[in-house]
Amino acid sequence: MTEYLIRRLLQSVLVLFLITILTFALIHAAPGGPTQIFLAPGLSPEAGKVQAHNLGLDQPVYVQYGKWIGGLLKGDLGHTFKNNIPVGDILWPRIKNTVVLMAAAWLLSLIIAIPWGIYNSTREYGISDHASNFVSYLGFAMPTFWFGILLQQWFALKWDLLPLSDMYDMDKQGDFGNLMLHLVLPVTVLSLGFLAGYVKYSRSSMLEVLGQDYIRTARAKGLKEGKVVFRHALRNALIPIITILGLDLPILVGGATLTESVFNWPGMGRLFVEMANAREYSVLMSITLVVSVIVILGNLLADILYAVVDPRVQYGRGGGSA
Amino acid sequence: MVRKKKWVSSFTVFALAAVLIAGCSSSNKSSESSSPSASATPSATTSASPSDSPSASPSGQPKDGGTLTISTFTDMVSVNPIFINDTASGDLDALIFAKLYDLDRNANLAAEPWSIAAELPQVAADNMTYSIKLKQNAKWSDGQPITANDVKFTFDTIRNPDVGSPAISTLDKIDSITVKDDYTLDIKLKQVYAPFPYSLFISIVPAHVLKDIPPKELKNSKFGVDPAQTVSSGPWKWSEWTQGQHFTIEKNPNYWGEKKPHIDKIIYKIYADQNTEVQALMKGDVQMTEAIPLTQIEAVKKQDGLNVILAPGPQYEYVQFNFKDENFPDKYSPFKGQKTRQAIAYALNRQGMVDNVLKGSGGLMNSPFLPGSWADPGDKAVNYNYDSEKAKQLLAEDGWKPGKDGILVKDGHRFSFELQYNSGNSRREQVSQIIQQNLKDVGIEATPKGMDFATWIDQNITPGKFPAILLGWSLTNPDPDAESIFSSKYFPPAGQNSGWYVNKELDDLWVKGQQTVDKTERAKIYQEIGEKISIDLPYVFLYQYGLPQAVNSSKVKWAEDDRPESSLAYGYLFHAINWWVE
Repeated sequence: MTEYLIRRLLQSVLVLFLITILTFALIHAAPGGPTQIFLAPGLSPEAGKVQAHNLGLDQPVYVQYGKWIGGLLKGDLGHTFKNNIPVGDILWPRIKNTVVLMAAAWLLSLIIAIPWGIYNSTREYGISDHASNFVSYLGFAMPTFWFGILLQQWFALKWDLLPLSDMYDMDKQGDFGNLMLHLVLPVTVLSLGFLAGYVKYSRSSMLEVLGQDYIRTARAKGLKEGKVVFRHALRNALIPIITILGLDLPILVGGATLTESVFNWPGMGRLFVEMANAREYSVLMSITLVVSVIVILGNLLADILYAVVDPRVQYGRGGGSA
Repeated sequence: MVRKKKWVSSFTVFALAAVLIAGCSSSNKSSESSSPSASATPSATTSASPSDSPSASPSGQPKDGGTLTISTFTDMVSVNPIFINDTASGDLDALIFAKLYDLDRNANLAAEPWSIAAELPQVAADNMTYSIKLKQNAKWSDGQPITANDVKFTFDTIRNPDVGSPAISTLDKIDSITVKDDYTLDIKLKQVYAPFPYSLFISIVPAHVLKDIPPKELKNSKFGVDPAQTVSSGPWKWSEWTQGQHFTIEKNPNYWGEKKPHIDKIIYKIYADQNTEVQALMKGDVQMTEAIPLTQIEAVKKQDGLNVILAPGPQYEYVQFNFKDENFPDKYSPFKGQKTRQAIAYALNRQGMVDNVLKGSGGLMNSPFLPGSWADPGDKAVNYNYDSEKAKQLLAEDGWKPGKDGILVKDGHRFSFELQYNSGNSRREQVSQIIQQNLKDVGIEATPKGMDFATWIDQNITPGKFPAILLGWSLTNPDPDAESIFSSKYFPPAGQNSGWYVNKELDDLWVKGQQTVDKTERAKIYQEIGEKISIDLPYVFLYQYGLPQAVNSSKVKWAEDDRPESSLAYGYLFHAINWWVE
């Protein structure tokens, strides 16, 4: 296992390096640059050339990449072109804000979805099962921004029960209770989206396991249904769910652009769009890097949890995946 | 191996999404601030505008204290006046920096109680030397006096090519600046340049803070991005910036002006988009919104206490033709005939656009000068009324004949072109469709194409490579001089005549306009330009438009003399020093 982990981590570093090269090339291949945004028509083109030169944007892409990666190795993510603000100063608060929002929604939906799915698997086509189907369809079909606006109309504008948008009231920055109030609506919207998938996954995964021979054997032995479900079936049913969770991990950092926009949540999703429009190469590179790292770690974590949950899974030299 | 593929594909999707987003979106910000202009058009008189501006509160007396929250949908970039080039930063600049001179409501240069200059400049008989006297009590927010050295430093820095200031073109006619004493200086020009007084409508930066920074490094300095290091000079000082969320200003304790601001604190809250802004306005989270979408005007008006100021502002929209053959797929510009261009002007239902799309926030434009300004040619400019029959007749006179598919043909070339505009701007999207329909009615095929702003500027506008575009100019400077847009001296990539328009007579008139200082004489020249340009039509001028400003008038108050002035750049903050909040 240790050897496996080391191998995986080394591979990851190599892959991350390749990702940065690819992303850098792709971002620079997009037409228009930071100075175009800075200049806009009507302003002297010379000023743009001078700025491009002062910022090093007139150098070949590989030189710019070399500078960027050199900075990265020293822990410097670079600066914005527009106003020379360190990328980290922009990035970390946004990541934090997104994690607060997404983790709340994710955990809430897990807490509801997994038990609900399990319950539904034992009572197929019951009322609860139909209800969860309805919620799933709603979650999948309803555009989140539209649902968000609906909630805002009722709970914030019409009844004035909850804040309309933002993370905090202007005069209550950092206040935990205030944050909780602001979380209610966006978390509701986002968890509905997550919930829709997780209920389905856990139900079907559980059903599959419950249909297997060893469960039948267990039942035939006369074990109580609760014991069959929780002791014998659950562990195996969790494996595919863990995979999904691992793969969803990047969403926690990447943010949900539309929901963040509707609720004016200062997170990563919005940042990415803003920075793409502004052609802020360093910020875009850093976001890609962070998300890539999370993707890799999420996969690794899913693999490890696999082994923990299911002892049949073994990693080692020559060992395949489950 | 299964899992490796998984994350490779996850990454690929992400990377592709990144490029797609980068390649095909354009923020509202770009669309609205798409065209700051080095040109100048007077927005002079407050012309009878169809505004239902919130009335002053005659009952109320100014009150000190309180907080005003304003919403915006773009974050500021840097408030360093040398580099300001976006609306949000410009707003902040207008509140925290004192300008050398200000503008009055009629867009005349004025030495206001809050201007650094003590009186209007003295102009020498040769019209090339401007003597400027400063107030002796003006101070920076760190307590240092504001002197003639600061003014000289500001001008010299902006006109230094190594700095890369976007404002360089307003000051490059300066020959030398002489500081005579701490509060007096002379500016000598290289040539007579009538628009120069408006170059003095400028924020001054503190030499004692910036003088030791090498010019090339100025843009990277913390001045302008770090509130603690941004020494300013206006009624308020910058106290806080949380990127992407809000920036806040507070009363400047060292403010030197005789008139002090009433409002203690102004917060700019940054919203993700304009619809979210309007919601916040309705909820009462903000008291003022600088621009609300046209589609939301009615909803906002219905709400108690909210008012909408609907006056046309200092910006206009146009269709620009390209005269260079090689920019067309068949190497033939169909726009070369004057009658053809006039036909297009007749074919477009401009009044319909004003009525249906702008919903009262605009008015027709027939020349590059704002209606009602001193350079406005008025009735002398041709007003092309919507008349498709006349259009068809003119097209026929110019040699266009209907082809097999109904589209006009001349010398084997179909009259078909791409009309480019920046995507994400709903007004332009709507207007481009109207243009498409109107032109189809007279046998011209126009294909609207929305493009990402940065890409568009880079690949089409700057190099002058496009068939036709739908774009606007924001007139940040009230002078009517627009030589750099229309003269054949300014072809791409060095200039802004991106349609490769040539008219020698007009070329000369623009220069004559710059070199005539007498305002009455100058007005005659611009009226002549307006008349000629409305006949020759390098652009079809569509309309002047405004950004509807919404105000919670039960909370934000001003006397009638201090009401916002939409026709000025940043005019929605006009005389904010005298406003108060209830």
